[in-house]
Formats: sequence, C-alpha cells, structure tokens
Amino acid sequence: MAFDMKMALVRPALKYALERNGHGAALGFTLDRVERGETHLTFPYREDLVGNPITGVVHGGTIVTLLDTACGCSAMTVQKKPSVTPTMDLRLDYMRPAQPHKPIYVEAKVYRQSSNVIFCRGVAWQDDKENPIAHCVANFMKVDSQSIQFRSIALKKLRRLMPWRQDPINDVGAK
Amino acid sequence: MNNQTTDELLLDWQERVGAARQECDPQSLLDMIPYAAFIGAQAKVDDQRLLYWLDKRASNIGNPSLPAIHGGVIGGFLELAAAIEIIYSLDVAEVPKVVDFSLDYLRPGRYKTIYASCKVMRQGKKLVNVSAKAWQDDEQTPIATARCHFLT
Repeated sequence: MAFDMKMALVRPALKYALERNGHGAALGFTLDRVERGETHLTFPYREDLVGNPITGVVHGGTIVTLLDTACGCSAMTVQKKPSVTPTMDLRLDYMRPAQPHKPIYVEAKVYRQSSNVIFCRGVAWQDDKENPIAHCVANFMKVDSQSIQFRSIALKKLRRLMPWRQDPINDVGAK
Repeated sequence: MNNQTTDELLLDWQERVGAARQECDPQSLLDMIPYAAFIGAQAKVDDQRLLYWLDKRASNIGNPSLPAIHGGVIGGFLELAAAIEIIYSLDVAEVPKVVDFSLDYLRPGRYKTIYASCKVMRQGKKLVNVSAKAWQDDEQTPIATARCHFLT
C-alpha cells in the first residue's frame, strides 16, 4: 500500500482529538487503527459505566458513544479536506448483552459516500467478531465550511498557544 | 456488592424501585445506575411527567472547538431516560433490556443544560416502545429525537 501522506498527518490529530479531549478522555478508549474510512478501537471494562446494577453490564449509552465515535472518525478521514462531520442519525441494534469485565472492540467502516452524505457501518464485539454485541449504521453530513476543517481548528489552537505569533500564523490561515 | 447473589440484588432493586415510585422520586433510580453519575443525568417529576436533565460538564464535550456536547452522550442520556421512564412508570420486575435504539440529531448540542422527556408509545407483553426527545432552550426546537425498543 502506498504511503498516504494526508493520513499520516490526520491520524495523530484524530488520536489527540478523540482520546485526549472531553468525553473521549472521560471514557478512556484507545484508537488502535485509523485508516482512510476505517477505524478500530478498544474499550476496557469500567465499573463506573455500568447500566444494570444487578448484572454489571455496561450501559448501552457507552456503546452508543463508542460506535458514534468510531463511525464519526471513519467519516472524518474520507473527506478531501478532513473536517468535522456532524451526525445525521444513528441506529443501533443490540444483539446480545455485553459481558462484564471484558474489553469491547469496535470497528467502523465507511461503505458509501455520496456528494452530501457519508454512510457508515459499525460493529462492537467482545470474544468473537462474528458474534457481535451491537451493530450500528450512522449517516454523516458533508459540510463544506472552513470553520470546521481540521486545518482551521488546528490553526486556531496554535494561535491560542502562541499569542506572540499572532500575525504570521494568521497569514498562513488566510491563504 | 460482589458478595451478594443475583437474587438478593434483584430483591434489593425491586424494593428501591417500589420506594422510588411511592415517594415520586425518580432521582433515586438514577442514583443506582453508575452510568447516570458518569454523565451527570438527573430526573424529577414535573407537571405529571418525568423531566430529565443533564447539566453541562467538561467531560461531556465531543467537539471542543464549538464547543458541542458529544453525540454519544446525547444518545446515552436519551437511552437512560427511556429506561428510567419504563422502570418508573410501568410495572416491570427487572431492568429492561434494550433491543434497538434509533437516534436523529436535529441540531448540535450546545454547551449548556440538555432536557429530555419520554413517552411510552406501546407496551406489549414483552416489548415496550418508547420515544424520547431532547431539547435545550425551547421544547419546540428539539436537538435530538430517539426511538427505542426494550424487552421487559
């Protein structure tokens, strides 16, 4: 496979944005693999995310978040100019309850993109990928706005970190 | 918690659910679910229905540049609200099992309190259908709607 320069830049940015920020950091999953249109992540079992206090099964909301994150991450990588993709809708089928004290693996793939919409499929499993705990389909909008492109978000962040270099970086951003 | 048997846990659960219904205190149900504390979901009885809300907190942010609440948190919150709605208002012995969950995002969730309310659309012998709605400023402009099936 040819070396994908854009992915080499986008991958660490996504890893940072999803693993170290906000709710992703609170959940504590790891992005194992990010390719163009494909994401794999691992989530360890956590007792503070239990939804059923009798059986100790993690709450469905955790699985919603994991699949939403993985599908969203896949969708973000397929665009010509990588940018944030707002979710239109998400449908999740729970095939079986997750077993407590076992990690959850998630894989999400983009299976079609039209001019305005990115269609993703995701699956979550524990022991056997052929026997998943949940399956989801999620659709994302392609929004062509400069303010949500990775490039402008990164520049905005840089500007905040280096206020003394206000002007030169502004010039780069304006090009 | 680990040295109790499942039967004991279930009896304890049923006792607490009964108490919550009697005292009109849905919050005590949320207190039993660790995930509710993780995202910070709260509930109360408001005008003959249950109102759920999620105060803003930094660990629920999905997109730090806007900032916007993580879509998964909105989904998890609505799923939690739907489950509590069933436990509180219907006569079910166990924790309902979620079968499927469908979520439509209508607007981005801004960094402020999210409210939600649910409606049981149908209760069959086994299956319950619940629809849920989340909003921020105005109930007429929801940020997300969800529909889910539970096995009871």
